[in-house]
Amino acid sequence: MADRKSIEETKTALHDVVREMYDRIVKGEPPTMTLPVRTKNNIGFDAKLGVYKYGRKQTIRDATSLGSAKQLLRALHVIEFIESMIDDGKSSTLREMYYISEGWGLGKFQSQNESNNLAEDLEIVTRCLREDFKLRPEEDGARMIGNLTLRERNRRGEWMRINARDDVGDSGYGVPYNVEAEKIEFLEHDINFIMAIETGGMFDRLVENGFDEDFKCALLHLKGQPARSTRRIMKRMSEEWDLPVVVFLDGDPWSFRIFASIAYGAIKTAHISEYLATPTSTYLGITADDILAYDLPSDDLSKKDIEALNAELSDPRFADGWWQEQINMMLEVGKKAEQQSLAKYGLDFVTETYLPEKLQALGL
Amino acid sequence: MSIAEKMAANQKQVAISEFFEKNKHFLGFDTLNRALITAVKEAVDNALDACEEARILPDIIVKISKIDNKKDILQVEIEDNGPGIPRASIAKVFGQLLFGSRFHAIRQSRGQQGIGITGVVMYSQLTTGDPTHVESKIAKEATAVSVDIGLDTRKNKAIKSNQDRIDWGEKVHGLRIRTTMKAKYQRGRQSVWQYLRMTSIVNPHADIMFIDPDGEKHHWQRVTERLPGRVEAIKPHPKGIELGQLQRLCSESTESRMTTFLRRTFSGVSQRAAKELCEVSELEEKLKPKSLSAQQVRALLEAFQGERQLKGKSVKLLNPPTSCLSPIEELLIKKGLSKTIDSKFVTTMTRAPSVAQGNPFQVEVGLIFGEGMTADKPVEILRFANRVPLMYQQGGCLLTKAIESVDWRQYGLDQAGGRGVPKGPAAILVHLASTNVQFTSEAKEALSDNETVMEEARKAMLEMGRGLRKHLEKQKKMGKTKEKFELINDIIPAIAEKSASLLELPVPDLAASITKIMSAVIAETTTTWNKATKQTDVHITLYNYTSRARSYTMLVNWPERQGASMVNNNLGGRKEAMGVWAWKLETLQPGVQTVISYSLANLEKGDWNETDVFYRGSQEVIGATKMDEKLLEEIRRQEEALNAPLPEDDNQLDEDESSDDDGVDESETSASPGETMQTTLFGGDY
Repeated sequence: MADRKSIEETKTALHDVVREMYDRIVKGEPPTMTLPVRTKNNIGFDAKLGVYKYGRKQTIRDATSLGSAKQLLRALHVIEFIESMIDDGKSSTLREMYYISEGWGLGKFQSQNESNNLAEDLEIVTRCLREDFKLRPEEDGARMIGNLTLRERNRRGEWMRINARDDVGDSGYGVPYNVEAEKIEFLEHDINFIMAIETGGMFDRLVENGFDEDFKCALLHLKGQPARSTRRIMKRMSEEWDLPVVVFLDGDPWSFRIFASIAYGAIKTAHISEYLATPTSTYLGITADDILAYDLPSDDLSKKDIEALNAELSDPRFADGWWQEQINMMLEVGKKAEQQSLAKYGLDFVTETYLPEKLQALGL
Repeated sequence: MSIAEKMAANQKQVAISEFFEKNKHFLGFDTLNRALITAVKEAVDNALDACEEARILPDIIVKISKIDNKKDILQVEIEDNGPGIPRASIAKVFGQLLFGSRFHAIRQSRGQQGIGITGVVMYSQLTTGDPTHVESKIAKEATAVSVDIGLDTRKNKAIKSNQDRIDWGEKVHGLRIRTTMKAKYQRGRQSVWQYLRMTSIVNPHADIMFIDPDGEKHHWQRVTERLPGRVEAIKPHPKGIELGQLQRLCSESTESRMTTFLRRTFSGVSQRAAKELCEVSELEEKLKPKSLSAQQVRALLEAFQGERQLKGKSVKLLNPPTSCLSPIEELLIKKGLSKTIDSKFVTTMTRAPSVAQGNPFQVEVGLIFGEGMTADKPVEILRFANRVPLMYQQGGCLLTKAIESVDWRQYGLDQAGGRGVPKGPAAILVHLASTNVQFTSEAKEALSDNETVMEEARKAMLEMGRGLRKHLEKQKKMGKTKEKFELINDIIPAIAEKSASLLELPVPDLAASITKIMSAVIAETTTTWNKATKQTDVHITLYNYTSRARSYTMLVNWPERQGASMVNNNLGGRKEAMGVWAWKLETLQPGVQTVISYSLANLEKGDWNETDVFYRGSQEVIGATKMDEKLLEEIRRQEEALNAPLPEDDNQLDEDESSDDDGVDESETSASPGETMQTTLFGGDY
């Protein structure tokens, strides 16, 4: 699946979806679209790939109700739109597609969520990527600083060589929405690992303190729940350069979920988990025992936090002993802490004491 | 003069203005906003009562303007086209507290609430020092009287000044009042605007124009030419009398025998009852009422109230006549609601008159539902007593309690725990018509508890609620049918075309998949008002989406009894029963559609908004209801029973045909058993 489809393969795959509807009408039956069930109940661990994937449960969307029939019609409009973009060599954002649908009459989307979901449905059914569909997300990718060199094909089609330490300003190298081989090639590096960081404040602190040079690493700002391109570039760098990934997040239930989507795959994108997830990545902190060990300033868990932690206890992605221990400990302590609470001990504490100690424990 | 005498005299002199000052809250002048509403209310109620008595269709103009913003001084002008007040009576009407005949007569009138227009004159004088300007013209005089009225609060008398005669031009009769007062104009639920809006709902025969302080005009038009029925004064009923009242009636009586006294003074007392009343109260029949001792009066009262009995039974009294009541009646409530609230569905219910403690009363309710009203807020409650809006103390009022006592959830409105004021896009109207409206306090804004009235109000709500439920069920059904139509008429063809064009293949035939999706016979009905022809157009489209030919008889209800006539009926058909028309459709081929269309003439806009469609046949028709033959039989029986004394009904129709609006009103509102029958079959929603 992770192998990319050619233009022809993409078109054929999309036509298969159309063909299913057409043939049903010819047979005198209501048109249908068949796709996997996209809920937690249909997610399972793929031992071969080391990530979580959709299972075998399928759902048939048929045109016997107004809602599903409209979905089918929308899918046809989206397919037509994608084909025209492929033919014209254009691309559009998902939001643009949502607005373009204004002109689709009965096939118009009621909300952007609907159009995003339908784009994902088509990815799943056709086993293509949205990059193949010339659709790109609204959210911008991460920023990155570190002594690594890559080349990126710019708008004019020319390859630009960029060193993510020497050729960029303080905000770092901006990761584009498409990080596939036709857009980005990795050239060389002098780093030992990649560190993914949740908040912009912490990213800037490490940059200012020169942590990337002192510890020979690439720093990557996730911007909260990381975009697909952010997860994809981590995956490629880790695989192609054989580098470990360490993830440095706040210490709360939501950070645990971010880590799960980086390491094991997210439920929404389980059809392409093997393409986005980096199973070898490690959770560095803030852990529940850090809160105690470093006596960090903390907040009480809210009701929602506790619900999220309890849900994680039964989530197959957190089934291993270490995670169970961490989650239970957080529930027991009843506290959560932010990355930046480390500043309690001064601005340099994180780079001079906390991270070195944590990295040493991991053998880095 | 002794000190005590002086003090007493002084007390009397200040009494009236002091009484007013002390009882402002009872009299409706406690806040600056309320004072303004009360002033408008007194004048408008008087105007409506006077017009009703003189059988004039009221045109009322209310204008409020700012005089002094800083000091909250407003000018209020109210003009009507009523009979006017003769010059000699003006001073009494405007200058004497508690003047008027209404405190004695037993009948339904607006004016029994409030202290009257004199209160307004007094309030105006107390807050601004100015007199109230009055102009009045009666039909038989060529000019109008113009006079300024002030009050001598010591003598409870009017002070007239600037009296003159002025020319009114075209206007034949009417009354104009202009007064200044300390008051505030506010908007919202308790405002002059709301008072006039509510007044217009229950007085559909009135044309009301309101010009607010910003110069904005609000116009509530007359929707019927029909005046409220004439109300007659009735004699008191023994069950509704109090000791003091009975004492006065006895002492003032000139009758020479108790039995005659009882029969002539009270309603509901027959010769036999009079004799029995004397017997149980141990009074001789030939006793003079005037000579009764206090104890004897008390004994008579006990007999009235059934406390003294004859052979274990209280004396049987007839109910008082109910001709003294003037209900608004269902169709007019419907029109009143429809004109002020722009929404689709209205259901109304006028209960038969009933009696509580010797006082005749009648409950009417109305409910309007639909878009244009907020869905997540409590419904608007419109309370009325004898056609007068009640705007304060909603929570403590019997009428509100009756609404709250109904579990509205079963009728399709939201209501937390099935109690309290329901939520939803609706307004509920409750009107109590009674000769003796009992209020919780002198403020006269909330009705006090009364089991009999409560029960009547509740029953009315329940019946109305059933109408709403039926309507909502029908809406839901129609919604589903509409979806199915969109699916097969628009979406499926679009899918076929688009998929064919993407694959560069011919567009496939849809008939088979559509039949598979629908597998039913469907009826789609529209009932719309045609502005151009002034008729109500009805279209029923039948589609056979099954694989076999079908045969049906389709039936509809239509307002035949209300005087409508059916025109442009394309398929003919036949009359099945009063208000029920039928078409026999021999063959409905698969995939084919048939249209039944007709128009209803002699109706006004809003009279007929929904048509019920029924079918006779083996396969279900989506969008129609299977005909209940038993009910149809019942309608036929009712019709036969009704047909015997019919000629009178016809005459009435002919008479009224000269003014075309009237003809419909008369026939539609004349309650008949047939109509009640239709209520059960078609949900009571017209």
